[in-house]
Amino acid sequence: MLGLGVDRLRADMNRLLAMLFHQGVLDEQFLQLQQLQDESSPNFVSEVVNIYFQESEKLLRNLRELLMDKEFSDYKKMGIHLNQFIGSSSSIGAKRLRNVCVAFRAASEQHNRTGCLRALELLEHDYCYLKNKLHELFQIEQQRILAAGVRYPIQQIN
Amino acid sequence: MAALQSVVQSCLSTTASSFGSCKGGGASSSSAANVMAVPDQFPAGLRVLVVDDDTTCLTILEQMLRRCLYQVTLCSQATDALNRLREKKGYFDVVLSDVHMPDMDGFKLLEHIGLEMDLPVIMMSADGRTSAVMKGIRHGACDYLIKPIREEELKNIWQHVARKKLNENKELEHSGSLEDNDRHKRGTNDVEYTSSVNEGTEGIVKSQKKRSSAKEDEDGDMENDDMSTSKKPRVVWSVELHQQFVSAVNQLGLDKAVPKRILELMNVPGLSRENVASHLQKFRLYLKRISVEQQQSANAFCGPVESNVKLGPHGNRFDIQAFAASGQIPPQTLAALQAELLGQPVGNVVSTIDQPAVLHSSLQRPKRAPVDHGVAFGQPLIKSQSNVSIPFPQCIISAEDASSGGPWRSSSLGTVAPSSNLGGLSTQNSNILMDILQQEQRSQQKTHQQSLLTEPIRAINVQPSCLVVPSHSSASFQAGNSPASVNQSCSFNRSTGIDYSLLSTQSKISNGNLKTPGILSGYTATGSLSTPSCSVIAESINSPQNSTVTYSDAGQLPGRLHNVSNIQDLYVPKSGEMLDQGAYRNIGFVGKGNRIPSRFAVDEFELKSNLNHGNIHVESSGIPVKQEPSMGFVDYAKGSPIFQQFSSSDLMSVFNE
Repeated sequence: MLGLGVDRLRADMNRLLAMLFHQGVLDEQFLQLQQLQDESSPNFVSEVVNIYFQESEKLLRNLRELLMDKEFSDYKKMGIHLNQFIGSSSSIGAKRLRNVCVAFRAASEQHNRTGCLRALELLEHDYCYLKNKLHELFQIEQQRILAAGVRYPIQQIN
Repeated sequence: MAALQSVVQSCLSTTASSFGSCKGGGASSSSAANVMAVPDQFPAGLRVLVVDDDTTCLTILEQMLRRCLYQVTLCSQATDALNRLREKKGYFDVVLSDVHMPDMDGFKLLEHIGLEMDLPVIMMSADGRTSAVMKGIRHGACDYLIKPIREEELKNIWQHVARKKLNENKELEHSGSLEDNDRHKRGTNDVEYTSSVNEGTEGIVKSQKKRSSAKEDEDGDMENDDMSTSKKPRVVWSVELHQQFVSAVNQLGLDKAVPKRILELMNVPGLSRENVASHLQKFRLYLKRISVEQQQSANAFCGPVESNVKLGPHGNRFDIQAFAASGQIPPQTLAALQAELLGQPVGNVVSTIDQPAVLHSSLQRPKRAPVDHGVAFGQPLIKSQSNVSIPFPQCIISAEDASSGGPWRSSSLGTVAPSSNLGGLSTQNSNILMDILQQEQRSQQKTHQQSLLTEPIRAINVQPSCLVVPSHSSASFQAGNSPASVNQSCSFNRSTGIDYSLLSTQSKISNGNLKTPGILSGYTATGSLSTPSCSVIAESINSPQNSTVTYSDAGQLPGRLHNVSNIQDLYVPKSGEMLDQGAYRNIGFVGKGNRIPSRFAVDEFELKSNLNHGNIHVESSGIPVKQEPSMGFVDYAKGSPIFQQFSSSDLMSVFNE
């Protein structure tokens, strides 16, 4: 029974991942990330993604502060933030966030404030979406590991 | 490190053996002697320092690098990274650095690393736009990875370390093998060199080998500077240092120069008598070799020079004779000398880039005789770059070069005005290249020239009023139009081009040709041609005599000023004539000169060269740097300056003043 649970959980994960890929939220870099996970670092993906979320939240906050400032003119600083955002997003395979960031950066280079604001909103939305989905994914994985972990002793007993 | 070195050395040992024979003593033999086994697990254990303010990337990179079996050290701040690098000099093999970091720009870090320790630096950024990548290249990054970085890319980074080591060792080889090589090639090219023809076939093989290696140098070798300093306190004979050495020798006289006295005169802390002694030995060796080669070159050059270039027999022979007479100065190819004396682990901070370029130039050299001027224009960029690099050579060398290599230069650069003073070793000033650029140049020519020019080149316009006005990068194009340019290479790394140009032309130029340089400059930069160069454009319209180009020199090189004045002097009487004739083409390549390690931000308008060499002060505001009434040519009284001029068909003629 538990074995079935593990399989089902794995199938759930795959389905979720497939959907995220299909939607263009993630790309193959995320798979690279998964491949980096090995015995020496069993939680590598979730660790990295958590770091990413922390950093991203900081960046989003900074970006919003910058844009909300009435005498806002520091597009250069914004560009630096965005570059970092692009870098980290692409590094974990958050494709859509990356794309939004690129658009955002383009808007900031044109000193297009409304474009920036729009991009920021989109960024925040997509960020939340990604965060929820990835958390969902990690939860399923946790369950799967738990299920698998429960199963092992049983097998050994048998 | 040890493992790596052994790999490199074993790679080298094969080449070393082939070249080892060329050189009597010195470095090549040592590397040839070390033949070690190549450990199978070589890249494993490579010590990598990763600098990125983005923790996400840092974590991912750490994991990736670990899986490549590298030893990873992480830094989230550039300053922190720099401190670590300073603490553990020689510990790290390669640095991976992000471009945008809050505390210090990645390029800044790159610059520091290039100056203080010699490490391959790989830049990383999410910004993959060409301009950003180009910036990395210009600053001397050995690679530029665009995020997201994949594991496969990191698996390969050891090659930068290996290449660097290889190049470092090769430099030692170069010193010995290059000139021989050069001779071989010439032997094949010129029938005149009967003496060396017998070595011809062998020479071809070698030269090809060399050529490829020189190219490699260009690619990866931008930051070879003080590799050695990080490992062991080996003395690096930078251009400046060598310059000091030469002037000390000059003071003492070659015969009386003993290491101890030289050392006293040089007064450089950290330099030991032994260092000086070995350098002196090498220096003498070269002078000797040069003198042997001199005869050959004298034969070789007269023919092509006269027919092709219209190099006045006076000029050419004069020099050669002068040399022969002095006898001490021996002709050797510029590049070889440079490579040997300076080039080795070349120079610290300043001169690294030069080396590959110089080597490159030396490779080109054999072509000089056959090449006619027209070719120079059409030549591919790379080639012209090599040409460009020529002027650097140290004075002695350059002087020699000017005389013996006249034709070649002329073909590539346009005009060569060897200065006569070369006589002894005292040639600080020796190399003056004069380019006469005619206002009437075809736009095509201009573009060619420009293509040669690198964007960051700085041009100094000397208005009729004798002011030196630095202009921005666009100004460099002015050089293209300028009817006359004088290039002079001093023993510094840099050479300065002086252009006498008419204002009207300048404006033209700015219109037509601005576009090209951007792209081209990019390539130049890659090619390890250092970009910033100074050209001085002087207006020669009415009273050229009044106009004097002055550099406010750091005073290191008195020679420089003389050169300038001398050139001017030469020019003055002729200028009216030339302009009238309207026949001169501008083959000259203005941007010749100044090489700066690519690390320095090229795109900044500041003349970094100033910082390096302290040679030319240019104030960006266009304020006259220094005005001097026409300068004395006193120093040159001895030598008859030779002036080369282009005839309409690209020919050159030499005037003796």
